[in-house]
This record gives sequence, C-alpha cells and structure tokens, in this order.
Amino acid sequence: MNAQEQLREMTRKAHQHEYVCRGLFERKGALSYIGHLDLKAVFERALRRAGLPILYSQGFNPRPMLVFALPLGVGINTEGDWLDVSMEVPVDADEYVRRINEELPDGLRVIRAVSIDEPKNSIMSVVTCASYRIEAKGVTQAVLDLFGQKEIITKKKSKGREVEVDIRPLLIKPLTSSSPDCAEYMCYAGSKQNLRPDVLLKALCEAGFSRAEADEAVITRLELYGGEYPDLSAIEGLT
Amino acid sequence: MSVESPGRYVGGEKNQIIKPIDDSIVRTVFCFPDVYEIGMSNLALQILYKVLNGPEWSSCERAFSPWPDMDKKMRENNIPLYSLETRSPLNEFDVIAFSLGYEMCFTNVLQMLDLGGVPLLAKDRKDTDPIVVAGGPVTCNIEPMADFFDAAFLGEGEEVDLEFTKVIKEYKDAGKKDRKALLRKLADIEGVYVPSLYEPKFEGGRFTGYDIKDNAPSSVRKRIIKDLDSVEYPLSPVIPNNNVVHDRAYLELFRGCIRGCRFCQAGYLYRPVREKSMKTLCEQGIAIMNNTGYDELGILSLSTSDYTELGALTDGLLEVFNKQHSSLSLPSLRIDNFALDLMEKASQTRKTGLTFAPEAGTQRLRDVINKGINEEDIMSSLELAFKGGWSTVKLYFMLGLPTETMEDVEGIANLAIKIEKLYFDTMRSIGAKPRKPEITVSTSMFIPKPFTPFQWEDQNTEEQFLQKQTTIRNMLKKHRNIRYIWHDVKTSCWEGIYARGDRRLCPVILEGYKRGSIFDAWDQFFDYEMWTGILKDNGLSWEDYTQGRTVDDPLPWDNIDVGVRKEFLKREREKAYNEQVTPNCRQQCSGCGATCYKAGICP
Ligand code: SF4
Ligand code: SF4
Repeated sequence: MNAQEQLREMTRKAHQHEYVCRGLFERKGALSYIGHLDLKAVFERALRRAGLPILYSQGFNPRPMLVFALPLGVGINTEGDWLDVSMEVPVDADEYVRRINEELPDGLRVIRAVSIDEPKNSIMSVVTCASYRIEAKGVTQAVLDLFGQKEIITKKKSKGREVEVDIRPLLIKPLTSSSPDCAEYMCYAGSKQNLRPDVLLKALCEAGFSRAEADEAVITRLELYGGEYPDLSAIEGLT
Repeated sequence: MSVESPGRYVGGEKNQIIKPIDDSIVRTVFCFPDVYEIGMSNLALQILYKVLNGPEWSSCERAFSPWPDMDKKMRENNIPLYSLETRSPLNEFDVIAFSLGYEMCFTNVLQMLDLGGVPLLAKDRKDTDPIVVAGGPVTCNIEPMADFFDAAFLGEGEEVDLEFTKVIKEYKDAGKKDRKALLRKLADIEGVYVPSLYEPKFEGGRFTGYDIKDNAPSSVRKRIIKDLDSVEYPLSPVIPNNNVVHDRAYLELFRGCIRGCRFCQAGYLYRPVREKSMKTLCEQGIAIMNNTGYDELGILSLSTSDYTELGALTDGLLEVFNKQHSSLSLPSLRIDNFALDLMEKASQTRKTGLTFAPEAGTQRLRDVINKGINEEDIMSSLELAFKGGWSTVKLYFMLGLPTETMEDVEGIANLAIKIEKLYFDTMRSIGAKPRKPEITVSTSMFIPKPFTPFQWEDQNTEEQFLQKQTTIRNMLKKHRNIRYIWHDVKTSCWEGIYARGDRRLCPVILEGYKRGSIFDAWDQFFDYEMWTGILKDNGLSWEDYTQGRTVDDPLPWDNIDVGVRKEFLKREREKAYNEQVTPNCRQQCSGCGATCYKAGICP
C-alpha cells in the first residue's frame, strides 16, 4: 500500500460511505505543459470553486480525495484519461460533468462520468494497457520498425543509476495508421509495468530517428484499458 | 519543447483576460523581470492587470523573463519575447510596464526589452515604439536604470495607471507623432517621473544636482490610494496552472507601517498607514477563496499584528474557513500570547516555526535602529511558546548596521545561545521531556537605502561582512541545536551600489547585460568580479556609491518626494546616534511630513 492508498483506507474507515465520480477527461493546449501534481491542484481548485461536496482525507493535513488512473507526463495531451473524485454525498454524474466543466480552465474538460458507490479497487490498480498517438515527420515507419525488433535495449535511470532494460516486451501492437507522420500503438501501462511515451521516443532516436523531430513530436494518450490483454475492459466498469 | 517547466510560457490560466487587438485600444504588457512562478505571486501584477483591463479602451497582457535555457533557445531560433495572452511580441504594444521589486532584476529588464525587439535606450526609441515605464518600490531611485525607461511611476499604481493610459490613448489616436511632446505631457501627471527631463550634473566625480528641462516639475510626488476600501481589489485573480512560489490567495490588510524602523525603506516609502475596514476584508477574504478554490489565504502586510482589529478579523475568517478545509497563513506576526493563540487556531495542522526579527544583537543597537523589541519580551514569549509545545525558532538579524561594534555582533550569537538554554530550562521546569529544538539564526547585510534616516551611512565592505559572519559562526559552532545561515556577501555588496546609485550606472548595467548577465538575483548567475571590472572600466568604484556622504550632499533621489521630509530623516539620524527611540505612529505622530496626503493614520 502506498501513502495515498493508506490515506484512502483511513478515510474509508472513518466514513460510512464514499461516493465516487469517475470522469473521463481530455487535456490539450496550455494545460498539457504542466506536471502531474500541478494537474491535480488544478482539478482540486476547480472542484472547490464548483462547490462540489468533495470528501477530504483524514489526518493532520486533510486533502481532497482525488485519484488519477495513470499520471500524465509534462507535454502529453490526452483524450482518454480517468480521474476518481470522492464525494461526501452522492452526486449525479451529469451534474458533476456540468459543474466541473464550468470551472476548469480552457484545455481541460471532463467528457463524461459515472457515479460509483463505494468502489472496491483503486482506479490506479485496474489500469493495464494504454494506447498512444505520436505525431512527427516520418514517425509511423519508425514505430513499425521498432515493433519489428526482437529486443529494444535502452538505458533507464533507476534509483540514481543507469540500467539497461529491454522495452520490447512492453509493446503490444501497432494500431492502423492513416498517415506516415502519425503513429498509433498500444502498450502496457499502469503500476505493474508501464512504457512511458518519452521512453519510446528515446528508443526511436537511438534507432536512428531524428532528435529534432522527436523534440517537436505531439504525443496524445488515446485510451486506458483494464483487464488482461487481449481481454481488455473499459475503465469505467472496473469498480 | 525541451525546456525546464514549459508551463511558464504558455498562459491559459483561469481568469486570464484576452481582449481583441484593436487600434482603438491602448495595449499594455505588464512585464515582470523574473520567472513566471515568482511574478505570478506578485499582488501588484494581479491588481494592475484587473485595473488596466477595466475600461474597454485599455487592455493588459503579461510577460515574464525567460529562464536562461529558454532565453538561449529564443535567441538561437529568433523567437521574440511575446505576451502570454495574445502571443504578441513586446514591440507591438503601446506601453511596456515593468514591475521592479528589487534592484538585482535590472539586467532582466534589458533581457526582456531586447528579446521583445524594443530599443534598449529610451533615446533611441522612435515615435511609434512602445513607451517603456517602471513601477514598484525601486522607482524611488530609478537613476541606475534611467536611460532605459521613458517614465517611472512613483507610489501606488491603481489610479495613476489609467490616467497615464488615457494620455497614451490620445497619442495613439493622433497617430503617434512627437514622442518628446508626449513625454513632457506625461510628466505633468502627478506621480510620473520622466528621467529624460532631468539631466544629472557631476563635479569631480560627485553628483551635484539636476538640470531640469522643459519646465518639468522640480520634484515628483509619489501617489497613494487614500481609501483602500473602495479601490479595486482582484477577487478573481489569474490562477496559475503550474506551481508558483506560494500557491495561495492573498488578502492585503493595510499599506504602510506604523513602526519606522530606521533601516527599513518600506516603513518610510509607504507612509502613511492606511487600513482596510474589517468588513471589507471579511467580504473580500471569503469571496476570493470561493472564486479561486485555493485552500490557503495568505495575509499580506508589513506587520500583521499592527492591524487594529486582527482578532475579530481572523475569528470571522476562520469560522468560515474551518468548514471549507481552508487555512489562514499569517506572516510577520509579533510573537506574544495573542499571536501564539492565533497561530494555533489558524493552522489546525502541525505547529509551524516561530519567527522573530530582532535585527540587532544588543538592546543598544536595537534602540539605534528603532526596533521596538526587547530581550525580555522575546524571552517571555518564547517561554510561553516552549511551554505550548513549540520548539522551532527562527531569528533574523542584520550585520553592518550603523554604530555596530563587535559586541553587537557577538550579541547575536549570545541571544541564540540564551534561547537554546531557555528551551531546556523551560522543559525542565514543567517536567517535560525535551525534544531537539531547532533554532535558526539568519543574518543579512545592512544596505543603506534612500528615504531612510540611514541614507547617508557607509555600507560595510565585503571583508567586514565576512569577518562578522565568521565571528558568529565560530561562536555557534559547538551549539548543535543552533543553525546559522547567511546571505551571499557579494550580491549584497553590489546591491548597495544600485540602491544609492545614479545615472552613471546605466552604461555599466548595459555592458553587464551585453556580456551575458541575467538573473543576477539568483546567486548562481551573479558574477561579482565581472561587474566590478565593468565598474572600473567606467571610471567608477564601489566606494563612490557606498561610502562617505554628508547630510548636505545633494542626492540623486532629491527630485523624488515620498511625503517624508529630509529634515525628519536628519532628525531621526541624530536620534539614532543618541540611541533614542521614536514612538510609532499610533502612539504619537512624529511629524514626518506624510500628513501632506491627508490620509490614514496622520493627524
Ligand atoms: S516593523 Fe519595522 S521593519 Fe517591519 S515593516 Fe515596519 S518599519 Fe519595516
Ligand atoms: S505624519 Fe505622523 S502619523 Fe503620519 S506617517 Fe508621519 S509620523 Fe506617522
């Protein structure tokens, strides 16, 4: 159990009930340039402005109970991320969407939501796979080439040391692409094994892809999935 | 984008105001010569952004200094510095308004103008170029930067900004012809200083006064807002998306300070004290929290405890905040029984540290600087605090104050040692098990500032400062519970030049910038040796600015009037030498001159 989950447990014990609004959100533009913690704070402030009855954690420093399915890196857009917000009382999903969207800054929007009564699993633990789109000149073929390799050794920083890892097992499959400059693929994601798109870009560059193009690449997370590949299921149903 | 914190450069925050680009609108860009995260914590920015975006004929956008990594990229790729709102390069604006909060940001002003495609020197700007102005406390002596600014605002900006913009509107409507005539006209607005109309004279390397051109006013008086209750206050400020220095909303209780500590420029510059009413503050505090969604409200003022109805105000706010999981942050409290109680109530969380600013190590020197705080008071409040479970204390001092002797310096260390002993004695007396107390001693360097009774004093040299730091360090070496932290001596030495500088420093600053110096306020970028070299090349020395003035010498800021009279400052200086304290404005008016504003606390 990590610190956040512990806090969740404490709160769960102290409260009779936890009503979760699970929302699918997108982000783009200026909002894509902020980090995970900043994004969390942006949501927290919007929820407070909206006057929604958010549930706070127990303890010395009560925090609103927000859990993201998977952290979003700086510079990455999304069309399909999920956020769980715990409420003190049941909140209608559509009302939640309407009220929070009124307060979110441009570039962030909750697309739809479901209300969940007392979820059994943390949303973080259900994510297993993700799909991404990378837009850059000539990237489609470069990604396909990567999928053609048996192993993809790349350096990774782990506990301050550089270690070599094979990221090939983390790649699942390329998705059909309509353009030579737009690659889409599916890979493993979540708390057990995760392939960050910047790590993939790094591997692309190590295989000869242009660094300059990689620097300018537009990366979008398309969707998150739960379940065991190839039997995937939608996040909203995994409570 | 492969730069650090790209969120700094994209805008897109809640409550950002984007107005159309239109010939009938005067476009101002508010420039903060430091990084976004620092600039966005600045209340003046939020206030003036609202004020200037008020009328339909005026718009205001924002720009910040790009960090060195971004600066480099922009130069390599010929990207101009642009505003966050409409991505317009700075040279497309009618007015470029800088907020100057500290002197060490000077080269960043040049960086921003340069990247924005604006001629650096005011005299090189054409009729259609932007009007470059400065505001903020530093403008009380803007001489070191005078060559780069077309005008400077003195004092508080809420009213003068729009008066100024109106004149610019006429100029723009008439097709922007005759910049010189425009500048002369701007000089007629109260509180606007146009440096080019004042030509400094020097004889034998000393400043002797100004040649005033074109019948400009002989002195320019700072502006103040008389009634803070009715002035615009940003209840829906721009809310940054990425983490700023202090992630909270702000409430300003009052302007000015009743105390008149003799080293403190703010204490004289913002006179007289004007409070907001408790009713206004309660309403504003609650509204701002609801509008922003912040979970902390920071109280702003020079000396929070001096607000007349602090208890009632904090009670009112906390009653609402406790229900909303919000907290109140109360800096600059004078620690006493009431303050301890308040701190306990305000932060339901853990006990934070206690802060004291005795500034000097002995009672004698504290009397010299008029710091109305004595050792018995510190000790008795600390005893209370220790009994109440506090164990973290921070103490702030200054080195190099006028009349300081080594006894005063040693007094700093001795006070810290006494406090350490007090902690263990107190714990023993109440039979509590002592924890490890954390006592922090922090010293900064005294820099004589304009418009204070110490404006004529010598500044300590680098060697003197270092020697004093070493003395304290050695005395505290064996005390494991006391931590000593000190400021970088070189930055302070250089800051002293700017503080009392004159126009001969303009080419020095320009040369420093051309050699690549920016972000001098950040110790890691400040190159003291390079700067002193440039000073020498210009036939100037550190001593020219920091040593040897008499009270009869003309001063470069004599043409600026902040309300406080020179005669009063001289009187205060004499009293300092006689170790006499002056009562605060609430106890008794000392006739400083600020009555001329007919506002606030003055009789
Ligand atoms: S209390 Fe003294 S140091 Fe503090 S703001 Fe007032 S005059 Fe300045
Ligand atoms: S005129 Fe008197 S009351 Fe007013 S600021 Fe000066 S000393 Fe204080």
